[in-house]
Amino acid sequence: MEDLKKLYDAILTGNFKIARETTQQALAAGIDPQALVQQQMIPAMDEVGRRYEANEYFVPELLISARAMKASLELIRPLLAAKGAEPAGRVVIGTVKGDLHDIGKNLVAAMLEGAGFEVIDLGVDVSPEKFIAALNERHATLVAMSALLTTTMNSMKTTVEAIKAAGVRQKVKIMIGGAPVTQKYADEIGADGYSNNANAAVALARKLVAA
Amino acid sequence: MMTSRERWIALLSGERPDRIPTDYWATDEVTARLLQEFACPDKEALYTRLNIDGVFDVKPVRICDHHPDDPQADIWGLRRKAIDYGAGSYDEFDNHPLELVESVDQIHAYRWPAPEDHDFDRFTRDIAAAPRHRVVRVGDYEPFLLYCALRGMELAMMDLKVEPEIVDAALEHIFQYHYLLNARLFEIARGRVDITYVAEDLGGQTSLLFGVPEIRKYILPRQKKMADLARSFGVHVFYHTDGAAREIIPDLLSVTGIEILNPIQWRCPGMEREGLVRDFGGRVIFHGAVDNQFTLPFGTVQDVRNEVLDNIRIFGDSRWICAPCHNLQPVTPTANIVALYETIHDNGIL
Repeated sequence: MEDLKKLYDAILTGNFKIARETTQQALAAGIDPQALVQQQMIPAMDEVGRRYEANEYFVPELLISARAMKASLELIRPLLAAKGAEPAGRVVIGTVKGDLHDIGKNLVAAMLEGAGFEVIDLGVDVSPEKFIAALNERHATLVAMSALLTTTMNSMKTTVEAIKAAGVRQKVKIMIGGAPVTQKYADEIGADGYSNNANAAVALARKLVAA
Repeated sequence: MMTSRERWIALLSGERPDRIPTDYWATDEVTARLLQEFACPDKEALYTRLNIDGVFDVKPVRICDHHPDDPQADIWGLRRKAIDYGAGSYDEFDNHPLELVESVDQIHAYRWPAPEDHDFDRFTRDIAAAPRHRVVRVGDYEPFLLYCALRGMELAMMDLKVEPEIVDAALEHIFQYHYLLNARLFEIARGRVDITYVAEDLGGQTSLLFGVPEIRKYILPRQKKMADLARSFGVHVFYHTDGAAREIIPDLLSVTGIEILNPIQWRCPGMEREGLVRDFGGRVIFHGAVDNQFTLPFGTVQDVRNEVLDNIRIFGDSRWICAPCHNLQPVTPTANIVALYETIHDNGIL
């Protein structure tokens, strides 16, 4: 287990090379990939999130930790899929139509991935139709939308309405975030939740999929 | 009655102007809309119509306006594309010319723009023609924002932790360009420049974007040199940082030596107006503070009036220039913009 702690430390300190090497060695030694995720990766990303909320970590630290986590997950994911392991939840995420700002969305996507969610990242400037198509094709139960601008946040409302009109609203929970977005706005447009940072987004996603 | 410039200069000199000065920041779409709605031929007429003490920006014109290796790109090698968001459009960068760089040598080998490549004769004429009743601004310096564009934002942010030599080398090239250019411009316009713009977006919506050690290492030393240059020409330092930047304000005051702090996003944690007045009111001029994420775009006319009146009360005897927090966006009703400037005009006499 001492060697596996290296994976935890590599993710926490954002060293993607050591994260990858440690994962390779662990898998070669026959360690259960699910155990790597549950006992090292998720706790490491939880700690990254805690440090972010405590203003000990900032955007650069989140990014390098996410990169290390992904380097490990790339090796583990095919093995999990082969075993038919179920993720914590399936999330379709994107920055809404008219908006190309993606650093906040990417941080949320990475933190969700680090928490064991399967993340279907649609990128930026995502139309309501694209969100709905992905929901249907990938059987996701959660939609996460991001907007940076006061001028583009209205696309969140349009997307919620389109999801309702498509008849899939009952099958999914909707969460939103981004600089001008508030809980009040989430309530107004009929979203299920709002968070103001990437760590809180994980807690919210866990709550929504458990509901 | 004071002129707009006299109002600003009075504040900057620690004296009491006749009324609270105002300023105007808006997207091009908003300005075009207001010009049309008020039948104003130009911005000067709009400023007069709404009693805005707006700044007059004099920018030097490049002799060659594109990168030598890319005629489609600006002088830094950046291409832009317009992104339509329905009510208007904004420019996004379409490339990141330094994104594949892996060494300091590659940074040095990049073709950086030359500060000499400007039409200084034209700048001399433009400065001479600048209106005497307006505050004149010359010089922009926001290096890490530019580095983010050149490198891509995520890589740029990660570089602060894992590629210290690359980020430092690039920031030095960016600094040298701006320092040499500003020195030339301040010399040409000696006695005619009131403020220069020094900026970096250090705050996000809820906290600093990157840690204080990185800000102290990469940002503040060069900001200080730029501010010292300005001061040596009698030019005041106008500083912009978005967001929740409370933690770094003491450094901005003591190291960079800022004189005006913009835009005071008071809804962000730590940026509450009362606390800023209490802790820094005697040392800096607050600029902005009329909320541009909720009140101006989505509030009522009465909400805007109330916020301006709140600001007058809160900023009290400290120094404040009334302006929107950043550019007015096209979703902002004209009535709210009018309410902002009418309320400060009716209630801002000192």
